[in-house]
Amino acid sequence: MADGPASPGGGSHESGEHSPRSNVREQDRYLPIANISRIMKKALPANGKIAKDAKETVQECVSEFISFITSEASDKCQREKRKTINGDDLLWAMATLGFEDYIDPLKIYLTRYREGDTKGSAKGGDSSSKKDVQPSPNAQLAHQGSFSQGVSYTISQTFCFQH
Amino acid sequence: MAMQTVYLKEHEGLVHSSVGQLSSVTSAPWWSALGSQPVYGEYCGQMKSFSLEISNYVDQFGAGKQAARGVEQLLDKGHTTQFTIFPGISSSDDCKMSGDAQNPQATLSLQSSLAEPHNRFEIGVNQPMICAKYPYMDQFYGLFSAYGPQISGRIMLPINLTSDEGPTYVNAKQYHGIIRRRQSRAKAVLENKMIKRRKPYMHESRHLHATRRPRGCGGRFLNTKSSTDGNGKNESEVIKTSGRQFQSSASQSSEVLQSEVGMLNSSKQTNRSSPNISGSEVTSMYSREGFDGFSVNPLGSSVHSLADMIGSEHGIIRPTKWVAAVPGNCYNLKI
Repeated sequence: MADGPASPGGGSHESGEHSPRSNVREQDRYLPIANISRIMKKALPANGKIAKDAKETVQECVSEFISFITSEASDKCQREKRKTINGDDLLWAMATLGFEDYIDPLKIYLTRYREGDTKGSAKGGDSSSKKDVQPSPNAQLAHQGSFSQGVSYTISQTFCFQH
Repeated sequence: MAMQTVYLKEHEGLVHSSVGQLSSVTSAPWWSALGSQPVYGEYCGQMKSFSLEISNYVDQFGAGKQAARGVEQLLDKGHTTQFTIFPGISSSDDCKMSGDAQNPQATLSLQSSLAEPHNRFEIGVNQPMICAKYPYMDQFYGLFSAYGPQISGRIMLPINLTSDEGPTYVNAKQYHGIIRRRQSRAKAVLENKMIKRRKPYMHESRHLHATRRPRGCGGRFLNTKSSTDGNGKNESEVIKTSGRQFQSSASQSSEVLQSEVGMLNSSKQTNRSSPNISGSEVTSMYSREGFDGFSVNPLGSSVHSLADMIGSEHGIIRPTKWVAAVPGNCYNLKI
């Protein structure tokens, strides 16, 4: 118990010493590469390996895709004078940008998430528990639960799209 | 000052978004209403958004628009063209009277004009669409040439050959979004927020600790399973991480195989180039995950203890595969 809170303090102290703006913004610019590589490994056989530059390339593509969808949804919210981007706005943005094939699975996911279905089906529970872990390192995505969940699911779909 | 103001407003926006959950509840029927009547609803939405944009400019987004306008003045030279397009779209005199508001509203009206041709295309009229597309095609081509040298390496590959915007073909639906994203990236470059090179590690203290740790054959850390005075914290974090993964995944064997593959990848990365740096990066990522797991479930100490027990059992199984993995790694090293 005593060791746990001490280490994050040390980490923040170190980041404070070395130009905190650049550290914070670099973390905000990209998703954590470990989570992305874990998602990429799910599509590989047991003996498969991923090069570091491949992970970095997918990291940049995934982060840019999220910004691409989010800016479209943000424009819609600004036009309608709303300040909160929700899951429906992201679905609308993806449909507007030509990603209609993703709408049906994302609607199913969003419906299950809003119902809070974590114990009804094992697959739903596992996927939701897995997704909960991934966005938490990135503080920028944690400002809204449904938004982060939608983004997490979009990450998996983005990998299919890029592939 | 303007950039700092914009940055602070972004934070305020985040705070408002975290507080305002009722707006998301109210917005759902609005979206469904738009969905029920696509053409007529979109038209009403555009008119309302246009009027709301005027009020937004006056009340809230003055500083942001000024910063955007500054960027546009630096990058765009077609003010006359924008001004000519603007009166053709809107008929209100107040917009024409205010000189400062013309450029950003012209840009916004360009967005609305971009949406209108789609509606006309759906209706089926061909000639007005061609006439409407021609002026801003020319203008966007100018924008493209302006942005080309800065973002030449990030042009997207062609997905759809519907429309021609220069050397690269993109989906017509995504063209506007791509242009917006290019402007955002150019703005970030101008504000020196973009870091071209990646940092090899996030925290120097963790980096130094990782460099001091003893390494075995293939560059992997020694004493990862047994408890030692110096490595006690990292080992407990690794156990927590593996325990959490064990709980989250339905199939246990696939998780074990994935972790094995991860270890092989990390060792290979260390051997390839700058072993200390990349190894420390992997270590810092894993330890951060451990912290997140601890922060997510602060009150569940019993759950953590159970996770430790499961992790320890898992650790007993691992040495066999670890011993099996080492010769393969040495073989790769020789090649």
